[in-house]
Amino acid sequence: MAAPHAQNPSKRRGAELGAYATLSIISIFCAIPFFWVLLASIDGNASLFLQWPRELTIDNYVRIFVKEDGTRWLLNSLFVVGTATLIVMVLAGLGGYALSRTRAWWKRPFLYTILLIRVLPTTALIVPLYKVLLTANNGLGTVLREIFGNGPARQILRYVGFIDGYLGLILVLATMQLPLALWIMKTFFDTVPRDYEEAALMDGATLMQRIRRVLIPLALPGLGAAGLFAFISAWGDFLLPLILLSSPELQTLPLGLFRAFLRVNTIDYGFLAALAFVYLLPAVIAFGFARRFLVQTFSGGVKG
Amino acid sequence: MKRALLAGLWAAGLSMAVTAAHAETIRIANHGQAGIDAMKATVADIEKKYGVTVEVVEYPAPDKDYVTKLLTELGAGNGPDIFSVPSASYVADMVAAGYLAPITAELKAWDGYDQLYDVAKQLAVSPDGETYVLPSMLGINQIYFRRDVMDKAGISTEQPKTWVDLIERAKEIKTKTGQYGLLFPAGVAWGGGAFEEGFQHLLVGSKNPQIAAADGKLSLSGEGVKDVFGVYKELIDNDLMPVQPLLGPEPWVIPKYEMFPAGKLVATTCGSWCYIFDWGRESKNPIPNVEKVVGTWTIPGQTSGQYVLAGLAAPWAVNSKAANVELAKKALLEIGSVKTEVSYAALIGNIPARKDAAADPDFQKLAELVPIHAAAENGVYLKQAAGFSAVSEGVARATEALLRKETDAAGAQKILVDYVKEVLGDDAVE
Amino acid sequence: MTYEKRVSWQLRLILLPSVLLLFAFVIYPAIYSVYLSLTNEALTGAAALNPRFVGARNYIRLFNDPKFWNSLLVTFLFVIGSAVIGQFVLGLFSAILLRRPLRLKPLFNSMILLPNAVPEVVAGFMWISMLAGGERATLSRIVAFFGVEPTDWLQTFPLTMIIIVNTWRGIATAMILLTAGLSAVSHEVYEAARMDGATPRQIFTRITLPLIAPTILLYMLVSTVSTIAIFGFVYALTRGGPGGATELISIYIYNQSFTAFQLGYGSAVAVVALVFSLAIGVIYVRVLKVEV
Repeated sequence: MAAPHAQNPSKRRGAELGAYATLSIISIFCAIPFFWVLLASIDGNASLFLQWPRELTIDNYVRIFVKEDGTRWLLNSLFVVGTATLIVMVLAGLGGYALSRTRAWWKRPFLYTILLIRVLPTTALIVPLYKVLLTANNGLGTVLREIFGNGPARQILRYVGFIDGYLGLILVLATMQLPLALWIMKTFFDTVPRDYEEAALMDGATLMQRIRRVLIPLALPGLGAAGLFAFISAWGDFLLPLILLSSPELQTLPLGLFRAFLRVNTIDYGFLAALAFVYLLPAVIAFGFARRFLVQTFSGGVKG
Repeated sequence: MKRALLAGLWAAGLSMAVTAAHAETIRIANHGQAGIDAMKATVADIEKKYGVTVEVVEYPAPDKDYVTKLLTELGAGNGPDIFSVPSASYVADMVAAGYLAPITAELKAWDGYDQLYDVAKQLAVSPDGETYVLPSMLGINQIYFRRDVMDKAGISTEQPKTWVDLIERAKEIKTKTGQYGLLFPAGVAWGGGAFEEGFQHLLVGSKNPQIAAADGKLSLSGEGVKDVFGVYKELIDNDLMPVQPLLGPEPWVIPKYEMFPAGKLVATTCGSWCYIFDWGRESKNPIPNVEKVVGTWTIPGQTSGQYVLAGLAAPWAVNSKAANVELAKKALLEIGSVKTEVSYAALIGNIPARKDAAADPDFQKLAELVPIHAAAENGVYLKQAAGFSAVSEGVARATEALLRKETDAAGAQKILVDYVKEVLGDDAVE
Repeated sequence: MTYEKRVSWQLRLILLPSVLLLFAFVIYPAIYSVYLSLTNEALTGAAALNPRFVGARNYIRLFNDPKFWNSLLVTFLFVIGSAVIGQFVLGLFSAILLRRPLRLKPLFNSMILLPNAVPEVVAGFMWISMLAGGERATLSRIVAFFGVEPTDWLQTFPLTMIIIVNTWRGIATAMILLTAGLSAVSHEVYEAARMDGATPRQIFTRITLPLIAPTILLYMLVSTVSTIAIFGFVYALTRGGPGGATELISIYIYNQSFTAFQLGYGSAVAVVALVFSLAIGVIYVRVLKVEV
């Protein structure tokens, strides 16, 4: 836009001012809802309305971790989403590599299938998914009850159960992030020249050795992007934990927040705002890291 | 080698989890802080009496969310051992789904059985003749009105004799005070409330007083049902009840917790809990002197009669797939003790279903509930049948259409009948 | 086994776990939903114990269900209002204006990106405060400045409000994509146009828009699909109310399945949503000639 000769200076200043004004309005629109959460979370008498705190306090945060189960919710969220992200990174790293290198007939149909899977809304899959998990869970439950008896089986199912268990939620969350991650990794490996691997092949390296010595170091940036997007998306998911979890031991942050909000007569806005902030923070941090990958993912990741 | 090692670790981990869980645990579902508080002493009693650990699990508070979670879990086979069913209209369907363990024999052998009001015993019996729920608490529904507001405006506070009488009174309130005259819960957002706290009241005094027909079908096509919707229609079209708040996500909050205490809504149907939880000692926005300022009418019949409608208030039941069904049943009966019932009455405002609760000194302190408890003996009730959850949802949809002024009484009845037919099949409706 | 063959098997093997997961938790459920939609499967009642095959009954019921059509209409308006208009227009403005060398550029950029990072439930929660009823709520206070009467926003203009919230969440997506599209347009083109005396408006409509049209199309398709899938923040804000005014198809599916307990019927609605999304997906692969 460097064409000073074509415009007179006052007009240019006017345009600049207009740009500032428009951008300011859009930015304020974007930022305004955050103020309330920030202020209410440090306000001793927070209410539903935006107000300047009369007494500053960190009591709301203390309450989350000391009095209520916030520590557990946070740890559960970190554990479930973290594990799911890890699974996504490993599987997408391997799968993306395979998709990039293979010349088999199924390559194109497979990639189109992944694209189409990406457009399926989770909401529309939730009922059959729930039934599938239910069947798996009942099968597993029967086996475990046979072996360990009624009570202990319940304890074990809490970890490896498909419904109201860590395993089910982790696998489903990971699966939902897989298509995008596979795509990112496939596109990424497409840009990695084959020379390195071929050199390793010449040295007689096995598949595992090739992956460990050559591909992992090369793939780290791609894995970083895939992992960050998987983390952000899984962290923000609400529907899956809402349907799949019920035990208080397994509650995650979005459920804790939602349930605390449902205590109709006794809503404690300061507590809720602080909890929302705790839940928000990891997502914003991850998003900060993911920013530089955004363009590639939206344009590149979606469009071949 | 590595794999064997992993398998070994895995097994070791499992066996540790197993030994950690050796003491028998009963999981009790509860929702809402008041409910949890009311059960505290009972939980301790159960633990002491049966040497078990009781784990109280807090569920999401609004009834709709609670039922969703509960049914999802029961369907999945990992539900709590003991739970309450927030609205009795769910019971028959839960029985049909095989979720509830029958307690007929245990209940009859229980020493509290003879103390139960007959109406409570009958309400608890399912269509198949078995009993699946403990009828420990009753919800007695009536119309509650602001005596102070009406006296000041010179409006009679006498018991209305017919539906016409009732609507005329509401109109008089509207003209003389400018405030809303009478609220019947309505709409989808109120969940079971449209049916349980509104529709039923009128239905028992209509030409079609029961829905459950002898042949197992549902009788919904009669004139009585249409007339009931006619009452809603009149209240809504004459602007006698607040409509906007009922369309929001928590429809009871504004009318019951804000408008009624402020005198902007002068009469509403409600259960006995209104005296305690909504406007009384346990309320966040209490009405001072609630038992004097707020009076009650029974619900008049269409042309004559007066009806005290009794329903089971969140009856408790045992999961048919409980870890130890027999133990859970024993624990369940503890919830029927006078102590628990009075604790519920004090914190939530439900009416004990036991006659001997009247003699309890703690209950006598709840002066506003004592007369209601005494009147429960003459309570009438709606016979339950499978398919009531569909009827309840159908009534919610029909009254929602009325709220939105999209239909008339006959149209609302058609919405109800069509919905029930769609869900249960054409042959389910008489 | 030849060396080529062995490598090819190895590649299949390392792709296998992904395939298994996608099959078990996406493809099979999607197929299974078609079967479920032909039954009267339910969460309670006799059908929960013994579900029956009911043929096309759920679909017949669906076409006669005004609430279903309402949810389609609401979803359509929601997509048009937020993805096609709101996010796009504001995103385009931001993308174009941020091409200028402004001093506060990084600040503007971060602020516009921030809502994109917010989890759905938190977004719902933040906006409950913004949109609450009464004159003390933030939006009421802002509009009071312009002399507009305060109201209970989610009651009075429910659909408009969730469109605004979703616009808020998605400006960044539009901005990022369109920035990428704009940066592909070379400066020489603008130079030449300006030399020929074209006005800024002409430059925009005759040069910028046609050149970024493929990016716009890409954005429209991607955002349409992701907007159809939205559930969390609308559920937290309105539950689909008042009176179905914000009952998106995703919320209708949830309500039918989990609050009216009709899993079979909910599946029929879900199948419709799946078919719609797939159709958009196919259009997008076709029209954009996605290279794989």
